[in-house]
Amino acid sequence: MNGESEEHILIIEAGRTHSRYLHDLWLYRELFLILAWRDIIVRYKQTVIGITWSIIRPLLGMIAFTIVFSKIANLPSDNVPYPLTVYAAMLVWQFFNNTVSIGSESLLNNSNLISKVYFPRLIIPSTSMTVSLTDFLISAIVFIPLFFYYRVFPNWRIVFLPFFIFLTAITSLGATYIISALNVKFRDFRFAVPFALQLGMYVSPVGFISSVVPGNWRLLFSLNPLAGIIDGVRWSLFGTQLYLPSLVMSAAISLLLLLGGYFIFRFMEREFADVI
Amino acid sequence: MKPIITVEHLSKYYEISHQKRGVDTFVESATMFGKGLIERFRHPFSLNRAHVDLEEFHALEDVSFEIEPGDRVGIIGRNGAGKSTLLKLLSRITEPTRGRIIMRGRAASLLEVGTGFHPELNGRENIYLNGAILGMKRAEVKAKFDEIVAFSGVEKFLDTPVKRYSSGMYVRLAFAVAAHLDPEILLIDEVLAVGDSEFQKKCIAKMNDISRSEGRTILFISHNTSAIQSLCKTGILLKAGKLAAAGKINDVLDLYQKN
Repeated sequence: MNGESEEHILIIEAGRTHSRYLHDLWLYRELFLILAWRDIIVRYKQTVIGITWSIIRPLLGMIAFTIVFSKIANLPSDNVPYPLTVYAAMLVWQFFNNTVSIGSESLLNNSNLISKVYFPRLIIPSTSMTVSLTDFLISAIVFIPLFFYYRVFPNWRIVFLPFFIFLTAITSLGATYIISALNVKFRDFRFAVPFALQLGMYVSPVGFISSVVPGNWRLLFSLNPLAGIIDGVRWSLFGTQLYLPSLVMSAAISLLLLLGGYFIFRFMEREFADVI
Repeated sequence: MKPIITVEHLSKYYEISHQKRGVDTFVESATMFGKGLIERFRHPFSLNRAHVDLEEFHALEDVSFEIEPGDRVGIIGRNGAGKSTLLKLLSRITEPTRGRIIMRGRAASLLEVGTGFHPELNGRENIYLNGAILGMKRAEVKAKFDEIVAFSGVEKFLDTPVKRYSSGMYVRLAFAVAAHLDPEILLIDEVLAVGDSEFQKKCIAKMNDISRSEGRTILFISHNTSAIQSLCKTGILLKAGKLAAAGKINDVLDLYQKN
């Protein structure tokens, strides 16, 4: 606008999957940031204890799971205090869970934007990750008192932790892209997602450690990318065993999910404004 | 000078569904249910097609026109003539079925005032949010912040959540943000249906001002003839999805009112 002399030509045509999508995403980065900021500050509006919720939920989950899986079912924990094992997994799980559950509804919640202005729609489900990432980081603070209480401290392996968080992020994003896009047209996902997530928590090693899974089931179990990621997080924090095939598989599946999610989203995106 | 917007043979079709006639007997409804199941089995991911007839609805049909830089164009037509569809295509919200549009400039669309206002956020926060949604950079909003607030006249309530605003305050704030956009092309749909007449006049004056002093191109949809007359130089008349006339605003309005 001000003194920009280069001519800005835009061609809108039938069926043109416009090739400048990634470029557009970059141009609209401020919108991404501001929507992320909006979602973060709106999340705990009109609550009494506000952001403390992001600590209370995983903490209560940890207590319940420790009682059920350790005290009642007497499962082993690889010599790590059971609450610590559970809390680490609980945070990863909640990060994934919150991203997917907020993200899958995100396009519907922002339907007024989708039918009134243009921007790369991918921004909307992506911002849901910034909300759950904030929750994740805040709830991770609880680790500090837990480490001191149990006198268990991570060693050099902790440098790999960001890698596992990154894997969680791309897994959640991939799933979110697919589900949110499908949700625009098929509202069935609105009912299926909460149920699937509830189920998912029990097939992921949240309340138990992966080594209690019998050997011949292990590979099937590892098809769930979160299994390898949670093992990885425990390995980097507590130095427990790492089953490498499972981790490699997790990483590969996460990446596939992200790519698949991106393309499915792009494919469905063209008719969002018409069907939402 | 090259036209700033060129529209060539633009068409947009929608699939609309009609419910099939109601079922009269139990046997009929049972057969219907059976057919539905078979259909579902064959196309598991399609929506319920057994019960609906699909028809193609031609919202726009082979529309072509050109707009010169600095033109202020009124788009006129009855309800359902395709005005809003045209604006949606121009603002890239939805893709055309056929034809093409060439735009030589940045466009911003204002299809609804206050798009994306969040009720829980206060006036100040919503100015930034709405600005970003309409395509302004943060720095731009910051630079114009005082002007926006002054134009809206809601200074006192900047720290109040907009859910507690009266509808008038809401609209004024929303329009104030939009009026400070500066793209080369501004697409506006029926925003003046809201607000009192004094505020409407203020808006028209502001739009006139923007377009005269800075040579901005404006496309404006409204059913308010006097607003169109005072703002636009040229007009486009749409009738049932087709271009019925284009030319001087008064000629086009005459033609529209004769029918």
